Amino acid sequence: MKKVILIALIGLILYLPLSSQELKITGEMWNRWTMEGGKAPGDSSNTILKNYFSLERGYLGLEPKFSETVKGRFTIDIFSSDASNDGAGLKLKYAYLDFSNLIPIPDLTTTIGLQKVYFGTIYDWNYDLIGKAPSDEYKIANSSDYGITFNGYIPWGWGEYALGIYNGEGYKNYGANLKDNIEPAFLANLRLTPVGGITIGGSIMANSNGRNKLLADNTTNPNYNQQLLTDGLLRLAYGPLDLWIEYLNKKISYSEEFSIKDYNASCLSIFSTVKLKKLIGQDLDLVGRYDRWDETDNPANQNLLNCITAGLNYKFMHDESANPAMQLQLNYVYKYYDEEESSAQYANKLKDTSTLMLQLKWRFNNTITL
Amino acid sequence: MNRKILLLTLILSLTTLIAFAKTTITCSGSTTVLPIAQATAEAFMDGHPDINISIRGGGSGVGIAALINGTIDIACSSRPMKSKEITQAKSKGIEPIPYAIALDGIAVVVHPSNSISNLTIKQLKDIYTGKIKNWNELGGPNLPIVVISRDVSSGTFEVFNERVMAGAKVSSSAQLLASNNAVTTTVSTTPGAIGYAGLGFVSSKVKSVAIEKIIPSEQTVKDGTYKLARKLYMYTNGKAKGAVSQYIAFIQSSQGQKIVEKQGFISLN
Repeated sequence: MKKVILIALIGLILYLPLSSQELKITGEMWNRWTMEGGKAPGDSSNTILKNYFSLERGYLGLEPKFSETVKGRFTIDIFSSDASNDGAGLKLKYAYLDFSNLIPIPDLTTTIGLQKVYFGTIYDWNYDLIGKAPSDEYKIANSSDYGITFNGYIPWGWGEYALGIYNGEGYKNYGANLKDNIEPAFLANLRLTPVGGITIGGSIMANSNGRNKLLADNTTNPNYNQQLLTDGLLRLAYGPLDLWIEYLNKKISYSEEFSIKDYNASCLSIFSTVKLKKLIGQDLDLVGRYDRWDETDNPANQNLLNCITAGLNYKFMHDESANPAMQLQLNYVYKYYDEEESSAQYANKLKDTSTLMLQLKWRFNNTITL
Repeated sequence: MNRKILLLTLILSLTTLIAFAKTTITCSGSTTVLPIAQATAEAFMDGHPDINISIRGGGSGVGIAALINGTIDIACSSRPMKSKEITQAKSKGIEPIPYAIALDGIAVVVHPSNSISNLTIKQLKDIYTGKIKNWNELGGPNLPIVVISRDVSSGTFEVFNERVMAGAKVSSSAQLLASNNAVTTTVSTTPGAIGYAGLGFVSSKVKSVAIEKIIPSEQTVKDGTYKLARKLYMYTNGKAKGAVSQYIAFIQSSQGQKIVEKQGFISLN
């Protein structure tokens, strides 16, 4: 039965793009060299922990356009991984359909399937830095998930919005793990651009974890918790400077009997890009980021992680719309805790770590008419 | 002493270089606007030898994307910008300002031998969706209809799609061509063909068909009775300044509008 379903699914995936009016083929590869060092308690200098080349991301996508109002997107991610003997991992990243005429509101799209999660900066993070968006980096929200969203743009460029219902488990879970709870996650997102160069926004997502509040014997499930995720965003873009300030909060509440386990974690992330092209004639960006994040789920422990990133982007090939087709990214990331945290599991027995990454990122796309 | 002379020479050389350096305006986008931009740029540069204007096509979508990416001075577009594009631009600190530079009607063209002279919007939609396949279904010759359309980055396609197709899918048998010239050339050499292009591209080699009994003309485009009338735009980041402002003002002037008419388009006045 499983084979029949698999064959039917593959057939559908192949048939749908071919029955479309247009098909956009996209690809994006991230070839990376990483050298990571860390300092354990008592060490006077860093020890090199990792030094390797990898394909961190290998996105391949099909974007069929069935009509002017119905479009699809199917993206897989092939990447280096030592989790299996093959040395490569495969993830289904997006598989959704966009319907732009289902609800008669201008510029409103209904999206159904495995899609972006419209929370904070995670859905339009364009990786000017090698690192992920804060909500993705600190596992506050998933970058894609199964669900239905209503997303659109406010007329005259005033901003954008999204309302959605998701599994709340992310795209990595599947099969028996797809839902660890029986309650979906709800999301609302709003971004406003009142004047050019100033964007303010906020997102809220209500989710739960641990399946049922009550166990089969009618006692309270100690693992059940409710999550309230909130995000506030300010973006300032003026001339060569593009500055993002994002504040995230994750509030976890257990049932009353287990409320001692409740905790609240927050993150402040400041990220800026300075474009030097007009100054030096080359498409070179300076990038910098500072994150402060309470990583612990222990309410009594508020020792914060500080993460500083500095880097350069050199975009040396562009497509006809001036989007970078090839770029070299150099990032140095330094992480340390306010206090000695090396014994904590999340600190990996280290006081601090520093990582140097050099990444060659290249992308292509081509639209063919069928 | 020698050092002073050297320094002075260097400063004088640099000053001379700066004084004689040409200001360059970069412009890209709509293939419909392209002939207007090229012809007006040539005339403008004749009177302003210190200004160089570089013009590329690519389609309205390409030009607008380049303006949002901050790599060009002017985006030429045969359609207004969409809410999504304006939001993306504003959030990046780009304030797109539209300047209307001409009026145009999207002319529906057939081969000169075709006896059809009028189509309704519904008939046009049925032709482009593949519902009507032969000219004899409309009282014309017994000839299969060859549907010619524009590619998706074209603003002309987007206006046609909005006003005629209303979201319906263009038949999969349609040929999608990359420019107005390619459309009119293909129609002129294919007896059963139908296509659409900006008025400035219509020649005697093709026959322009009335839409809802109204022929695209200066009068019907200006008074808005022609259903496929539109404005052509140039977008800048913020209010146009300096050489860009001079160039756009030139296009909008009576001298510039005469060039617009000479290119087969309709002047703003």
